[in-house]
Amino acid sequence: MDFQVIRDNLDYLLRGHWPDGPLGGAALTLLLSVGSAVLSGALGLALGIALAMSAPRVRVALTAAIGFFRAIPVLMLIFWTYFLLPIAFGIDVPGVFSVMCALSLVGGAYLAHSVRAGIASIGAGQWQAGLSLGLTRFATLRHVVLPQALRIMLPSFVNQWVSLVKDTSLAYVVGVGELSFLAAQVNARTMIHPAEVFLFVGAIYFVLCSALDLLARLLARRCRSGAGV
Amino acid sequence: MAFEPLRGEHLLWLVNGFLQTLQIAALVIPVATGLGLLAALAGLARGWPLRATVGAAIALLRNSPLLVQLFFWYFGLPALLPEALREWLNTTQRLPLPGGFALPWPSYEFLAGMLGLSLYSAAYVAEEIRAGMRGVPPAQRLAAAALGMRPWQVFRHVVAPQALRIAASPLIGQYMNITKNSSLTMAIGVMELSYASRQVETVTFKTFQAFGVATVLYVLIIAVLEVLALVVQRRFPVPGGRR
Repeated sequence: MDFQVIRDNLDYLLRGHWPDGPLGGAALTLLLSVGSAVLSGALGLALGIALAMSAPRVRVALTAAIGFFRAIPVLMLIFWTYFLLPIAFGIDVPGVFSVMCALSLVGGAYLAHSVRAGIASIGAGQWQAGLSLGLTRFATLRHVVLPQALRIMLPSFVNQWVSLVKDTSLAYVVGVGELSFLAAQVNARTMIHPAEVFLFVGAIYFVLCSALDLLARLLARRCRSGAGV
Repeated sequence: MAFEPLRGEHLLWLVNGFLQTLQIAALVIPVATGLGLLAALAGLARGWPLRATVGAAIALLRNSPLLVQLFFWYFGLPALLPEALREWLNTTQRLPLPGGFALPWPSYEFLAGMLGLSLYSAAYVAEEIRAGMRGVPPAQRLAAAALGMRPWQVFRHVVAPQALRIAASPLIGQYMNITKNSSLTMAIGVMELSYASRQVETVTFKTFQAFGVATVLYVLIIAVLEVLALVVQRRFPVPGGRR
């Protein structure tokens, strides 16, 4: 094994051509992860609340739509957003943005059920207490139920973000220059040390995901012990 | 965008891609289940070196992207192999059978895809099986031991049947993931469904139709597995009610 190839391309793999050109590499992977994490969290929360609060008929329609996004491969969804967003809006959509859209939709669809389950796990007594204090249903949700439910959901949010970090690598298929794409590029250019290149890149992802995974475990333990967050 | 249907030839590409996806899933599911079961059993071993090794392997496989793993097996592994073996992998096109027949030897893309997807999925399967075994109440083991069963008999007749029922639904969920994740093998040139849809899109510019057919086919596979999960749940309910 000879890691000289990594030393030669380290800057490129970590940040692409930045600051002289577009941001890429591990930095873009981080950006994609954080962007999709925030968007998927917001979407998951909204969908989960909608699932928990809506009328049965709406709930069935929502469940079906969410089921659709969970049923197709992330890669297929990236194709859809990458090729259809520009057509739908009639403007040039940057690849990073369409990938972020796809990842947020998938993440949101998975999180929706965790959020719904989190809300359902809060006892009816909490709802009754809120309503009898004269709060509206949404005020009860906002001030009484959600603060408790969020603690229960937090580990599944973090777990979902671990898959999200891994899924950012799929941006490779539409040529977005994040870490996996640049790794494949470096590999195609140098040709001689593929094992070293992909081991190094895998290690970067591993560090990112393991840190999140550790966080999820710590949060889960704290929630179980009832200490609160 | 005009909605002209796809021509027969292009539909055929998609059908072939679909069959390749089904083939990958049909091969990876049993292999990943077997490997995952072995890994879960290794987690019960007395000796810590085995447990630690398996634990580390599972963590590595779960916490890095499948795409990078596929690249590693496809580009990296041959570079680490001795020259002769590499030559053989790249040249042997047929598996000779007695009597002058020969089986077409699968391409290296396919083999690397199978290896990568099987190992990645096995790590997830192992965790589901481990969770299933943890779900069996300790009193069940004690009761079986009190009846004079040996450790293997306890596992075989008391723990395994219950753990399997607990793990059944999550396992089918993993089988769905295997099917969906098989789409990633297109990145190393396996001509499965996503690869075919991309190819049809490039040639015909019928974006909507190409991805539409592929999407419907994926949803179809997942729907079949979903129904299977319901049947299994009804046929083999978890003892002691739903967990």
